[in-house]
Amino acid sequence: MTDLNESCGQLCRELKAAWAIAKKDIRIYYLKPNIIVSGMLFPLFMFLAFAIGRDAPPTMLVPGLIAITILFSASSIEPVSIPIERRTKTFDRLLSAPVSLHSVVLGESMSGFLYSTGIALVPLSAGIILFSTPIVQPLALIGGVLLTSFCFATMGTLFAAYPTESPGDIMSMLNLVRLPLIFVSGVFIPVNALPPIGQIAVLFSPLTYGNDLIRAAFEGTTHFNPMMDVLAICVFILLFQLAANHLYRKFNE
Amino acid sequence: MHAIEATAISKKFGNLLALSDVNFSVADGETFGFLGPNGAGKTTTIRILTGITVPTAGTATIFGHDIIRETIAARRQMGIVHEISNVYDDLSAWHNILFASELYNVPRSAGERRGKELLELFGLWERKDDRVKGFSKGMKRRLTLAMGLVNDPRLLFLDEPTSGLDVQSNLIIREVIRELTGQGVTVFLTTHNIEEANLICDRVAIINRGQIAAIDSPERLKKTIQSVQSVEVAFDPSSPKLLEHLRELPLVSEVRKEGDKFRLITEDPSGVIENVTTYAREHHTRIISMTTIGPSLEDVFIRLTGLMIRVKGVKAID
Repeated sequence: MTDLNESCGQLCRELKAAWAIAKKDIRIYYLKPNIIVSGMLFPLFMFLAFAIGRDAPPTMLVPGLIAITILFSASSIEPVSIPIERRTKTFDRLLSAPVSLHSVVLGESMSGFLYSTGIALVPLSAGIILFSTPIVQPLALIGGVLLTSFCFATMGTLFAAYPTESPGDIMSMLNLVRLPLIFVSGVFIPVNALPPIGQIAVLFSPLTYGNDLIRAAFEGTTHFNPMMDVLAICVFILLFQLAANHLYRKFNE
Repeated sequence: MHAIEATAISKKFGNLLALSDVNFSVADGETFGFLGPNGAGKTTTIRILTGITVPTAGTATIFGHDIIRETIAARRQMGIVHEISNVYDDLSAWHNILFASELYNVPRSAGERRGKELLELFGLWERKDDRVKGFSKGMKRRLTLAMGLVNDPRLLFLDEPTSGLDVQSNLIIREVIRELTGQGVTVFLTTHNIEEANLICDRVAIINRGQIAAIDSPERLKKTIQSVQSVEVAFDPSSPKLLEHLRELPLVSEVRKEGDKFRLITEDPSGVIENVTTYAREHHTRIISMTTIGPSLEDVFIRLTGLMIRVKGVKAID
């Protein structure tokens, strides 16, 4: 019983510390110009580049815009904040605190998650107000937005493990992954319209499952079973979290 | 139980051996100085003792907690003041200190109370709502120290706490360190300021090229090099030629110019006093002051690290 109490106490302390890290990031980084550009403007222009001139209904375009907005905004905070904190040595403050590396990774990811969830409301509101896009499965929308945001926030934290003091280094690597993901996730081209190799590639993209859930909220149908979407995103979150934890430890040695 | 016990610690970075078989212990309540030239292994040692870096070999315990296996329990005992003032420039002083208290799981009300006490102690309370970006170097240093104390640590790691600071910040920080040691807090201090270590520390370790060269109290270390005694003399008028002339005096092994004075290193101070007096009389120059000085901690440091040979007479220790 004492061991259980101690474990619960430690878990509580870890979560509080993770939340403190997230709050600190929210206060410092949300209004940094490079985060606004990378997290808000970049996905908007990407979307416009693909959507303008295409004769696609709003129920097809709005979910895609929400998905890529989440992809870019969720993964934009840590690749900026962590290299800056390495340069100012404030990251050492987190590494030497009485909390586990898991909590540091979780706290960093939480700030990206909250940022992205907030930003996702912009295209969602635009879809509802400007195009009167109906939401037929609200639960799929909530689950899709929350899980996808957390997944890509953790991916951002994973990339930020690379030991550099320059955000540009990480952003370059990240874009090498983020940009191809858009094309193999059913965001602009439906999964069943992709060539056979593309249909295999989509299985390895977390955006596929997030986009599938968000699309279900507007179109009422999914390519995969919704439970499989949820499970796949959870597996990606776990993999990113474990890999991030491993890399922060390794690069710190 | 020792506050710190480092046993056979080694650390390799690729082929570079940064630390080699480092052993020392720090008693509870002791103020322990860690001196060494740049690249000697001071920061690596602190990073290992605080659990940021894992040693390649060896172990370290903090109040009995193994720093690798029980990292969190060990860290709960300590406060860390890093070499660089790692405060968040975009946050206010108040938010910085609250963040530190949250990170160390200090309850909200206790964190606010302690935060207020510390900001007042370090003369920052009036500026608590200002963003740190506008603070001077000394103010940032004081805030860093305040953040390191927010959890009332039993052991405080201070990495170059007063390096390059203004007089006011220096005085405040030294006074706080004195108060902490008076309260029984163990202090592990790295510093380039040897005189500071001499005044504050119960014991010092001198590390050079990753190995401990000596560990003892400052006074006992000084006794190990009694041959390095000196005579400090000031002349009127003083001229640049004096340095050359003094070097040629019998019994003088080395001469250093220190401000308007000359320091003559010798094994026979009384013989040198006689020679200097004769020299002054013969050259019609007046001796303003003359003092014999025993070996300083700096002399011990220079002797053990071999620094003097490398820098050819310049007493740079950074």
